[in-house]
Amino acid sequence: MKKIFQPFAVINSQTFIIMALLQVVLALVLWHTTSNGLMPQPGKVAAALVHLSTTKLLIDNVLVSLVLTLKAMLYAIIITLFFAYLSVLPFFRSIAEFIVKCRYLTLAGLIFVFTLLTQNGSALKLWLLIFGIVPFFVTSFLSVIVHIHQQEYDLCKTLGYSNWRTLYEVIIVGKADKVLEILQQNFAIAWLMITMVEGLNMSEGGIGALLIKYNKYNDLTNVLALQLVIFLLGLFFDALLTIMRRWLFPYTTLATK
Amino acid sequence: MTAYTKQQVLLQATDVCLNYRDTPVLHDINFTIKNIMRPGVEQGQVVSLLGRSGVGKTQLFRLLAGLQQPTSGSIIIDGNKQVQAGDMGVVFQHYYLFEWKTIYQSLRMATSQNPVLKGNEKEAIEKWAAAFDITACLHKYPQQLSGGQRQRASIMQQLLKGSKFLLFDEPFSGLDVCVLDKVVDMLLQVSVADELNTLIIVSHDIETSVAISDTVYILGKEEGGSTIKKEIDLIERDLAWHKDVRRHKAFADTLDEIKASL
Repeated sequence: MKKIFQPFAVINSQTFIIMALLQVVLALVLWHTTSNGLMPQPGKVAAALVHLSTTKLLIDNVLVSLVLTLKAMLYAIIITLFFAYLSVLPFFRSIAEFIVKCRYLTLAGLIFVFTLLTQNGSALKLWLLIFGIVPFFVTSFLSVIVHIHQQEYDLCKTLGYSNWRTLYEVIIVGKADKVLEILQQNFAIAWLMITMVEGLNMSEGGIGALLIKYNKYNDLTNVLALQLVIFLLGLFFDALLTIMRRWLFPYTTLATK
Repeated sequence: MTAYTKQQVLLQATDVCLNYRDTPVLHDINFTIKNIMRPGVEQGQVVSLLGRSGVGKTQLFRLLAGLQQPTSGSIIIDGNKQVQAGDMGVVFQHYYLFEWKTIYQSLRMATSQNPVLKGNEKEAIEKWAAAFDITACLHKYPQQLSGGQRQRASIMQQLLKGSKFLLFDEPFSGLDVCVLDKVVDMLLQVSVADELNTLIIVSHDIETSVAISDTVYILGKEEGGSTIKKEIDLIERDLAWHKDVRRHKAFADTLDEIKASL
């Protein structure tokens, strides 16, 4: 017991699970006891979640959001890899650096520009989402490239490889596992943005649109139930990407002897 | 003394200088490595470049490996070829290998660069793996290997590439006594595997380097950057090619002489 309050103390996984479960229970009890009339109690939120999950409304809207997110992630990763791989060429380095700086642009101010550039609401949402994700993806991947150890390039050169072959071996093949890691890290950002962009074109639905609708009528019970769905879906994709990374790149989980 | 002759020049470093911006790091590096012939023995060359930490050994290593170009001067191999990346086999400190490739895949990277092995890559890997006792590790990743296995795989990779020159950066650094003996044995094994095999060891481990070398160059600091301050021909002193050389008094005297020169 004393151990869990000691800095750098190591506890076994069973103790950790019990401790985490107790913390969840404690948080729920606190939530339950401190909730007033405005704030729904956890039981009510759970009941709303059960009710929502049996309706077609939730499944349809989750599917709309998921398709949009996955589409945006796919395009974003293609654009990211293109610019990140080519960032080792001086001509593309400045472009990649500019994309990194685009993190400081807010989407809200660019909605009209994107409306002019896209044909319909669906494309608007997709490209806003891509524009929102790409700078974060590029930032993460450029950081991976910058931190590649010189010995990795040197080994290729000593084997007599050309610069293009070195780029292929060290960055494209060697850092393929990092692409999935970046996807995993940035999925949260994409998932966060989905609610925002879906608010722009609510006619097509989506979990973001649903959330805005419930929020508009101060239906906190359903808002929290939806938040729970978003949270759980996020955790699910996080776990899925971890499993995929371990399966595709087994060396990432090998312990050094 | 063992009979020997020094024949053609294998490597010639002439007036090599290296500056970083305006700061001279190396200046007027001059040395020659010649092919040593011994009757009845496929005797390769083992040359050590010794110096204190921070004297510029790593920079000289990179120049010799062709990973960096000197500010002036030249490093010529095979009579008239300016050394370039890929000409030399390079074994990095800590025996670096790609973490995302199995040992077999790493070795295939090397064999694909060796025209002599074309069509026989698999057989060559199997033959060398058996000789280096790493057959069981071929389909493992470097993270799964012990330090000794990793080091053997790393040396083997460079040998399979087909270069007669092998450069070692601090090969004895951080090794325990047992592994150190194995490394020494392996380097000696490689040095007698082919007449033209030339091992260049850049190290600050004086004793081990001298014990396996035929020539020692001492790198020291001077006003205008580091340069080779002394050349010691260990063959002339009858200190080369002896297994028990460490027991000789002349060996201890040579170590003292080197230490005094550093």
